[in-house]
Amino acid sequence: MDDYSIPELMAVCLARDLRDGELLRVGVATPVAEAAVRLAHLTHGPNMELVFLGARMNVAHLDTIPMPAFGWDSRAVRWAESYSDTGHRFDRLKDWSNSVFFIGGIQVDPFGNTNLIGVGSDFRRLRFRGPGSVGTATLSTHVGRYYIVLNNHNRRLFVEKCDYISAYGWGSGGADARSRIGIPGGGPKYCITPLCVMDFAEDSKRMRLKSLHPGVKLETVKQATGFELLVPDILPTTEPPSAQELQILRTRVDPSGRLRRG
Amino acid sequence: MNTRRRERIIDEVEAASWLEDGMTIAIGQPTPMALVRQIIRRGLKNLTVVDAGFSLDLLIAAGCVRKVITYYAGGGFGIPVMPAFRHAAELGEIEIWECEEGILCAGLQAAAQLLPFLPWRGGVGTSLPEVNPDLKVFTDPIKGETLLAVPPIKPDIALLHAATADMYGNVQHYGGPGWIDLFMYRAADRTVVQVERVISNEQVRADPWKTTIPAADAIVRAPFGAHPFYSRGFYVQDNEHLREYSSLSSDFAAGRTEGMTMYLERYCRRPPTHADYLEEIGIKRLLSLHEY
Repeated sequence: MDDYSIPELMAVCLARDLRDGELLRVGVATPVAEAAVRLAHLTHGPNMELVFLGARMNVAHLDTIPMPAFGWDSRAVRWAESYSDTGHRFDRLKDWSNSVFFIGGIQVDPFGNTNLIGVGSDFRRLRFRGPGSVGTATLSTHVGRYYIVLNNHNRRLFVEKCDYISAYGWGSGGADARSRIGIPGGGPKYCITPLCVMDFAEDSKRMRLKSLHPGVKLETVKQATGFELLVPDILPTTEPPSAQELQILRTRVDPSGRLRRG
Repeated sequence: MNTRRRERIIDEVEAASWLEDGMTIAIGQPTPMALVRQIIRRGLKNLTVVDAGFSLDLLIAAGCVRKVITYYAGGGFGIPVMPAFRHAAELGEIEIWECEEGILCAGLQAAAQLLPFLPWRGGVGTSLPEVNPDLKVFTDPIKGETLLAVPPIKPDIALLHAATADMYGNVQHYGGPGWIDLFMYRAADRTVVQVERVISNEQVRADPWKTTIPAADAIVRAPFGAHPFYSRGFYVQDNEHLREYSSLSSDFAAGRTEGMTMYLERYCRRPPTHADYLEEIGIKRLLSLHEY
């Protein structure tokens, strides 16, 4: 099956890494993650809980879990069993090790630190003002693991050093980069882009290629990355979506084709 | 002697007269757009706003804002960052008190509880305390952990939108009390809530557990008052209208302000009241925003 879009490939790839029983937190403007959690829920996660902007739901029994046309569609609440607005937005953080989150960025550095604040050396006169941190500083601190999901892969995005860090990944590196400053969450696991999947080396926590998407050349990724990526000896190709995964994705999650419009 | 209980229903024009230049105003979500439009119509200046998204962008574009306390100014419909926010931030025309949802909640809670700060962990290791020096990294005296001290964020007034309230200011939401609204209510000196419907005091008493905000300082009757946003149980978001805003404002950051000016004139400045605004939107559009 080679007739799929790159966002579809990314969603399937993420979905496969999600485990039954996990609580999956999805924010705004992340259609790939929105699709991935729904797909995982339908394919292998009947006990997953999906949280869209505070609305918590288990909808594995539904024939379809269509993606909303926009991230903050309040109609998602119709499927919710509870809503976090009724208490503190971030209560029971102690239990968030079972939570998974998806984060974007306008810059990402070799240690998975991400920036949503802006680009430019003078904070008062940024060259590009970003959207702001949303809840990512808190979420990235406490969730069991998270995925950096990016719609592009270029040197403006992958930089040696972020101008600002809004979510602390693996700091300046090292397996204890988080524990030594008392950050409880498990940190970024993978970074996925339209070109490849990357993980973080066990000891240094530096970003490392994990797989190249079908048809993508190693040189292309290197050229598009503004820092030196670790490259493992064995570099597999990202497993393409199966016919069954694509069918579920297209008929039960994304019937309107958001992920196919690019 | 007057023994009559004070009624708290005022109209949105009077509510706007509670506001003054230079105040700190927290704006909830779903967005109390009828009140936001009155702020713009009055031409208030030098406000500090605790706000996010579309309403924040309108207030900045209208020249009402000096300082922004925000965690998010993302756009929608193809705009990654709200255009007026982005433009004003890049030119240094607004001061930004950079924060994040958890940090904002901690600051509002500190204000509500008269504390000099509340600790928060989210943001440790990030640039937030560098770009916002009011956030202090400190070592906690109990376990020696590294945390952020978040100072009080104290609005003079919170402007919120809800489903219903009685004439005495008892507010009941449908489907949850909004995003950070209760934090804003607890922190603010005064709270004005615009509601879809005013209900009887007996209805409130029939289910007092549903009261989310006891005794708001004023209630504004504003059916469709969150338009172009949703109001749970009443109507859904007006995407067509928001797309119109996106296209009118898309080149604002490049210095082309005509579209934005047109929007502000037509929808915010010219209609003297909320009812006039609804006429401008049109009954057909409004009635099309049903959920089922």
